[in-house]
Amino acid sequence: MSSHVEELMDKAIWHGLKIGASFVEAKSEDAITRRIEAVNKEIRTVSEIHNIGIGVRVFYNKGNGFSFSNILDQENIANAVETAMKIAKASTKKTLLKLKLATVKPVTNKQVTNVSKHPRDVSLDEKKDLCLRQCKVAMGKSKLIANVTSMFAEYHGTIHYSNSEGTRVSYEPLLIGLGVSCVAKKGETIVDARDRHGGSVGLNTFEEEMHTPEKMAENAADWAIEKLKAKAAPAGKFESFIDPRLAGVLAHESFGHLSEADGVIIGMTPLAGKIGQKLGTEMVTIIDEGLPRKGGYNIYFDDEGVPCDRVEILKKGTLNSYLHSRETAHRLKMKPTGNARSQDYSFEPIVRMRNTYFDVGDWKSEEALDELEEGIYAIDTAGGQVEATGTFLFKAVRGYWVEKGEIKYPLRDVALTGNILEFLKNVVAVCNDLEISSTPFGGCGKMEQRALVGSGGPHIKVRDVLFGGVR
Amino acid sequence: MEELLEIGKKAINHAKELGTDEAEIFLYGQNLTSVKFASGIFASRGGAVKGIKGAFVRMAEPWIKKKGLPMITSGIKAGVGVRAVIKKAIGFASVSSLEENKVLAAVEEATKIARIRPPDPNWAYLPEAKEPKGRSGIFDKRISELGVEEILDLCADCCVTMGDHDKKITQAIAMLSAAHGSFAVVNTNGISVSDHGTTFVAYFGAKAKSGSEEVSSSDFLSCRAFTENLQSTALNTSKRAIECFGKRSLHEKYVGPVLFENMSWSELFSRIFTYGISASNVQENRSVYKGKIGERVANEAVSIVDDGTMPEGFGTAKIDDEGFPKKKTAIIEKGVLVDILYDNYAAKRDKCESTGNASRQGWVAPPYANQPVIKPSNLMLIPCKGKLEELVSEMKDGVLLKGSLIGAHHSNAMTGDFSVTAENAFRIEDGEVKYPLKACTVAGNLYTALGSVKAIGNDVRDFGFLGNTICPSLVIDKIVVSA
Repeated sequence: MSSHVEELMDKAIWHGLKIGASFVEAKSEDAITRRIEAVNKEIRTVSEIHNIGIGVRVFYNKGNGFSFSNILDQENIANAVETAMKIAKASTKKTLLKLKLATVKPVTNKQVTNVSKHPRDVSLDEKKDLCLRQCKVAMGKSKLIANVTSMFAEYHGTIHYSNSEGTRVSYEPLLIGLGVSCVAKKGETIVDARDRHGGSVGLNTFEEEMHTPEKMAENAADWAIEKLKAKAAPAGKFESFIDPRLAGVLAHESFGHLSEADGVIIGMTPLAGKIGQKLGTEMVTIIDEGLPRKGGYNIYFDDEGVPCDRVEILKKGTLNSYLHSRETAHRLKMKPTGNARSQDYSFEPIVRMRNTYFDVGDWKSEEALDELEEGIYAIDTAGGQVEATGTFLFKAVRGYWVEKGEIKYPLRDVALTGNILEFLKNVVAVCNDLEISSTPFGGCGKMEQRALVGSGGPHIKVRDVLFGGVR
Repeated sequence: MEELLEIGKKAINHAKELGTDEAEIFLYGQNLTSVKFASGIFASRGGAVKGIKGAFVRMAEPWIKKKGLPMITSGIKAGVGVRAVIKKAIGFASVSSLEENKVLAAVEEATKIARIRPPDPNWAYLPEAKEPKGRSGIFDKRISELGVEEILDLCADCCVTMGDHDKKITQAIAMLSAAHGSFAVVNTNGISVSDHGTTFVAYFGAKAKSGSEEVSSSDFLSCRAFTENLQSTALNTSKRAIECFGKRSLHEKYVGPVLFENMSWSELFSRIFTYGISASNVQENRSVYKGKIGERVANEAVSIVDDGTMPEGFGTAKIDDEGFPKKKTAIIEKGVLVDILYDNYAAKRDKCESTGNASRQGWVAPPYANQPVIKPSNLMLIPCKGKLEELVSEMKDGVLLKGSLIGAHHSNAMTGDFSVTAENAFRIEDGEVKYPLKACTVAGNLYTALGSVKAIGNDVRDFGFLGNTICPSLVIDKIVVSA
């Protein structure tokens, strides 16, 4: 049985075809984002955003047009279709290129998300308590803890996609996250540390030993206190042991973006024209997929209704695939990969990543660390700078000096710089402890749209990483 | 607008049934069409720009030859934001819909949230009804009727104008958006008001290349009614880029008077000064102006006023986003700080009346999804005399800054410290613009700068889109410029 929204989408598609479109697609979204923030034992913010609407895209002659409405009645949706058609006609006159979509097989599929303790079934009180529990533990840990912030967020709902070729799919996105950050203060020294956990899971995930609110709070507090006595990171090239989170950000920010086919078409990525070329050592495989085996954010279909396949961007060191929308796949005569995504119903889909990570290798992480003669163990990152050339600067959240396989002392201001293409050639060990993380707190920004993504990897060991070298 | 008020009243009744002490419904509907047109022979460019802590921002520009690529969006966004208050605890929920059942569900959600939040000791009560004295938001029929094709044509024409100005122009981008919409506020304290308006915003960017030297410039317009100035602003963008050819390095650090063009100044002013005069920042000890009312904080030539009733102002409306009347508030009079800006919450905390500066405008989410914060309506630095050229002619030795300053948004609004990169900077000698400078760093403190203002021009422009500021060009002493 079709819902009211699906009927409206069908009518929109018929209306588009009737007024002359060669292709029509519609996406609807009905989703809730909730956020709770507690600062030092007090609930500060609780907010809820309920986002509902339909977006339509039509193709006509050389152009296409996109419009949307969140007033869900037949009249307003028909108006949106007509506006999209006007845009398609107007852009046809100004465009040189004919926009076309790669052929795909129509799909019909309905995916339901069943998890225990789905956030929609859990009271606000219980969620609020997750934050308060974190604050209590972290504050109680030491007098040196000056400030604790805990955040819980959830995103879930239903997404429908239909098009005039017969594709008709829907799924129920779900992403939750809990995070805590602690500021420690001693004299003039102020440092911070954080921990977080999330994914397409129910709230029972916070009952697992590693991910209880208390455990995360203890971690963040301990790490912050430890950082108070950290020594400045030495500058220079060192062998480096990189944790799954930092590996994930490297995979996403500095490599994944370069493999997006829209960038390949306009020639602004160094990966353009390099399919089949050896870019990294044999042990490096970088994946982007919608449904990772473990962890991350589950996406069944992209916003062109294409199933979110597993893409091996880099396969055993060789560039194997770009990330595509149907449009870029057609332009480059390749296969769509299910990477066309939009922030919500009010945005046109563009090429985006899903869950991007370094695939597992054979090394045990203890052994890889054991064999590190002298170097830096760099963990997680809260920001940095990346350029279209693959050049990056990341500030690790934590770092340790390692000698003869032993962690010696904590470091502060651990900043790594380099170029991802050099970096991939210097990977000497990839471990088997894959972790993919995703939370609804941030997301990836591109062309004024934000997208929820996951990223990760196992521990990896890399030669000649430049530290402390701010260009 | 009547429709919005009606839904609002139903929602208020529902809130009362649910046992809330107070409730407020903000309703909003906007029809926005935005066109970005890029043309020219593009150098491959893009990638990422500097990330703020924890965030990565990426930009990509299409690469197209000869013709261009339009990027167009058009659609309706409507929704409500609900504040429910129970025993001084405030709950907020929003929904992107005006359907009755969805709106009522949002009221229920806000009520649930209020019940789990701790009471806020500083909460008094929602604003009370007061007859607005100011004018309605400006509604220009011409803008509300602009079609996609017309906007696209205007955009494409601007690109052609920019490209035709000089053979060295390699890239031109024009972005135009036209919006018309209305909003309403209904609360349990007797407020039931609505207003409507139109906005028209344009952005222009030009890049040029000669040999190995590359220059760029950007400019924009923000107005409430249709303007014929589009072409001239587009042309100026190209002119300003071309002016920058032949850049020379600044050999030694320069400390002295710097002439800020209205736009350059406005970027810093809106980022920093707006923060300092927000009553909530003053109350929370985050503003340099705490305890400074009645004291001299600027040069005698400086007067600053916020006027939400100003004709043609980008931020003009009958009421603010809490339904309280907008008004005119003097902030600095002849160098003396006389008042700061309030919303209802901060005003009740200071036992005074709101200045009508509650705003839900945000960068990411539509207004109904944001709770009100204090922002200026039309914050004007009162002009004195002289155009930019006249200000130049009165300077013996100096630096002129034009256009956008990179990094203005990373300034420290609390302390006022800024350090920005100027790409359109020029050396002034003996009252004349001598030559353009290679990208240089300009550093200073905005709050102390107000005390070293040497001259204020009369060339005010409304930078509504930049944060509701209206500024002239001005000369400030003791600014540090280094290569």
